[in-house]
Amino acid sequence: MASISLKQIQKSFGEVEVVKGLDLEIPNGQFTVLVGPSGCGKTTTLRMIAGLETVDSGVIQIGDKDVTKLEPKDRDVAMVFQNYALYAHLSVADNIGFPLRSKGVKKEEISSRVAEVAASLGISELLKRKPKELSGGQQQRVAIGRAIIRNPQVFLFDEPLSNLDAKLRLEMRTEIIRLQRRLGTTAVYVTHDQEEAMTLSDVMVVMKDGVIKQLGKPDDIYKKPVDVFVAEFVGSPKMNLVKGHASAGNFTAQSGFQIKVDPKLSGEITLGIRPEDVKITNKDASSTQGKVEILEQLGPRAILTIQSGNQQITAVVDNENLKQITDKTNISINSHLEDHHYFETSTGKRLN
Amino acid sequence: MTTLNSTRLKPTWTLAGNSLLILMALSVFLPFFWLSLGSFKTGAQLNNPALLLFKPTLENWKEVLRSGVLESAYRSATVGLVTVSLSVVIGSMGAYAISRYKTGGSSTRFGILAAQVLPPAVLVFPFLEVSYKFRLNDTLFAVIISHLSFVLPVITWFLIGFFDAAPKEVEEQALVDGLSRFQAFRKVVIPQVAPGIGAAAVFGFVLSWNDLFYALILAPGNSATLPVKIASFNTFRGVELGAMCAAILVAVIPVLIVSFFIQKRLVRGISGGAVKY
Repeated sequence: MASISLKQIQKSFGEVEVVKGLDLEIPNGQFTVLVGPSGCGKTTTLRMIAGLETVDSGVIQIGDKDVTKLEPKDRDVAMVFQNYALYAHLSVADNIGFPLRSKGVKKEEISSRVAEVAASLGISELLKRKPKELSGGQQQRVAIGRAIIRNPQVFLFDEPLSNLDAKLRLEMRTEIIRLQRRLGTTAVYVTHDQEEAMTLSDVMVVMKDGVIKQLGKPDDIYKKPVDVFVAEFVGSPKMNLVKGHASAGNFTAQSGFQIKVDPKLSGEITLGIRPEDVKITNKDASSTQGKVEILEQLGPRAILTIQSGNQQITAVVDNENLKQITDKTNISINSHLEDHHYFETSTGKRLN
Repeated sequence: MTTLNSTRLKPTWTLAGNSLLILMALSVFLPFFWLSLGSFKTGAQLNNPALLLFKPTLENWKEVLRSGVLESAYRSATVGLVTVSLSVVIGSMGAYAISRYKTGGSSTRFGILAAQVLPPAVLVFPFLEVSYKFRLNDTLFAVIISHLSFVLPVITWFLIGFFDAAPKEVEEQALVDGLSRFQAFRKVVIPQVAPGIGAAAVFGFVLSWNDLFYALILAPGNSATLPVKIASFNTFRGVELGAMCAAILVAVIPVLIVSFFIQKRLVRGISGGAVKY
């Protein structure tokens, strides 16, 4: 277990600068998730921590040790890859025991440690099999077993759940959380799936174009995104973002959509409202009017796509509040001012 | 079903295709058949190529044993094994470097085969000159060095596709798991491409085993390899056709057997690792 410190990390591939002077402090034992769209530099950052990519400039420390120039084998990190990267020619037991064998640990100790790790992951009966005889989920467990067997300082996960089906992904997600809490090892996890990032992380790092856009607890990021990009990227369904003009507590969108906003605001702004903060009532003359275009049932909740003039608004509504509302119903839209997110339209920065 | 039927070839085409295949098979097998018959014929019988029914003789095979064909086969095998062993060790490292690090730029991939474009005669005289200087003429060593000049590039080229197909993550995993680059290459990458290495080795061995030109010029005497020995049945008194047939069979049969077992991998190697099996 150790802290990780990235100071002014910079990396280019040819002409393209993929990581631009990144600073990140990860305390000991913390589960940090790097999340962002493809090409944001998250995987490159992870690979630089692992030592699989060189660093153009900057310093990487694991614990008190400067590892910037060290080989991967000398960094004491364990990594789980998206495609599991199992050694096809070795049995499950040999795969899990591989890091110990490469360190020259005695055979008896390796087999007892392998048995222990396999039991903790529920794969004891698979030890003699070859990787190609395993299902995706089983292969993932083997990859995780191989990562935890030598108690590394740091776990690195590179989109480890992307190749699994939806059900298995949820199961493994819970398992990874449980495992990390039990072992207390510092972990860095890369994903493009914001939902996965929200559920797994102690601290979430949202990246775009090689820089950190926002860093914080998932809930804080969700509630107070620093800019339009983070607001739109985090949360599903996406936040409603409407560009328009505010004056005297009234907001008028370019599309003609109107709603009450904070009276202190004036000028060009982008209004953000989370779908679950959009309040739906049966027709009420004093509020914004709209018509339900599509109603998607999700069991306890429903997603409504509402057309209000030329503006499309997404709302998430508890089923019990749906009442008479169906497709094509005319409704009224409302929202609490404290649920509004205001952004400067020109820069995208948060205003409130 | 209708779509399936409509894509099927018409019977006339199928018949034509099959006939063509049979013709091609015959053109390959007939010479072997003729060689096999010829190895049991006397000189007089050999003058009649169409003669199918005759009293077989073992004289040709006895002549083959007497004239040291087996010894030259042993020398050929030695040359082949040493050439292939060196080529596999050096070639696998070269192919790995070209595949992973693009060593020498994109042109190296095929550039390494450049020497194959030259007629062997261009290379053989410098080899001869050098072998005289080092007093290596008529030694297997000289033959091995000359064979390396074409077996090594071919094996390297053959293996590049296999290294391209081996997943990079597995190797990176090994680096994180505590191995150095070279250890990862040896313990993780090589086992992944082992089938390719096996096929490349056989391919290279056959190239060396069949070579007449370099061996004839560099070691025509006491160190004669099998193809040189076969050629020696073409004497100043005429061609000893019967013995030559028997000696050719000694050379061909092992190659045929091995090729049969590795044909799929050979195809995969030649197509750059693209064919799954």
